[in-house]
Amino acid sequence: MAGQPKDRRPNVVRNASSRPKGTYAILILVAVVGASLLAYAATRKPESQPIAAEPVKIDVANAGPPQGYMMGKADAPVKILEFADFECPACGRFATITEPDVRTRIVDAGLASITYFDFPLPQHRNSQPASNAAACADDQGKFWPMHDQIFGSQDEWNTQATDDPKPFFMKYAAAIGLDQSKFESCYNARTHQKRIEANFAEGERRQVNSTPTFFVGDQRYTTALSYDELKKIVDSVAKK
Amino acid sequence: MTKRTIVAALALAGIFVALYLLLYKIGIVGNLSCSIGSCETVNTSKWAVFLGAPVAAWGVGFYVVMFSLALVSLQDRYADSLGMSKLLVLVSGAGFLFSAWLTSLELFVIHAICQWCVMSAIIVTLIFLVSILDLRAERDTEKITSS
Repeated sequence: MAGQPKDRRPNVVRNASSRPKGTYAILILVAVVGASLLAYAATRKPESQPIAAEPVKIDVANAGPPQGYMMGKADAPVKILEFADFECPACGRFATITEPDVRTRIVDAGLASITYFDFPLPQHRNSQPASNAAACADDQGKFWPMHDQIFGSQDEWNTQATDDPKPFFMKYAAAIGLDQSKFESCYNARTHQKRIEANFAEGERRQVNSTPTFFVGDQRYTTALSYDELKKIVDSVAKK
Repeated sequence: MTKRTIVAALALAGIFVALYLLLYKIGIVGNLSCSIGSCETVNTSKWAVFLGAPVAAWGVGFYVVMFSLALVSLQDRYADSLGMSKLLVLVSGAGFLFSAWLTSLELFVIHAICQWCVMSAIIVTLIFLVSILDLRAERDTEKITSS
């Protein structure tokens, strides 16, 4: 038959007879290498993220006093300070995955307070507007609900998604029951720009160069801590 | 090494790549090791979820199915099964098309590339190509044995 391979022998159980004995050895090797790399990736300490190439145009020397957003008791025995950027994915994961546990089991339990400071990185164009929206929500006592909305929907308003994040912040303002006209006039006027700048300047003063960065006691942590890690740190600071 | 062994080995490697992305997506792996491209941009975009589940979870599912099929096809009973070759091509073809769609989203919509997603796209392409070669070889054998 034309085009038929010449060297093929008929009636040969090809795959069965030619299956090398090493097949399973190869698969086991791939499994061991893959599992080892995965275990390494899952347990390694993340490298601190590089500092942004260009500094935000903030006058650090002349910034006012920082004013973060605190949750918990003012006289809590341990104070957790968080410097975060609303657009930073690691901050988003901390806020949406880890923080609910932190709130109920550390903050609500009275073990520590947590204070959020804006640290909008310059490569995240929509992060300052997000800080602006959160600060305006704070005027109506709803910083944290807005914080949760912003982080929870990070991918719909971030720099990659849109050049105009305001409609999204308006939507969140409606969702959490803010007085929308007050919110909008505050947002448009950038009423709290100085506060955001002061919080950023505080981060600079503390040599924050990646987000999220946490300060607990006299220690600095430059990674998104897990609940267990944070709990351990809070417990150890409380004992001091 | 038979073509089906190659498919099984590639699918197994694919399981680990997709699992890594899934562990990142659900927050177990803190930061993606990403020396090329913008893995976080891609994996936090709205296209990282498909029909309510993370795309990485679909990837894990696909590779597990592919790996299982390849393992079954290596058993003596199915070693010369043309149907099994067709099934491998069909399933890997679906994975290849889905992966091509995801890669086009990365290039033309998200404008960011994730090296692990690219690696997965390469793996699924290789699985598809090797499955086609296996099908061709199986057809040749079929022709010879039936002639």
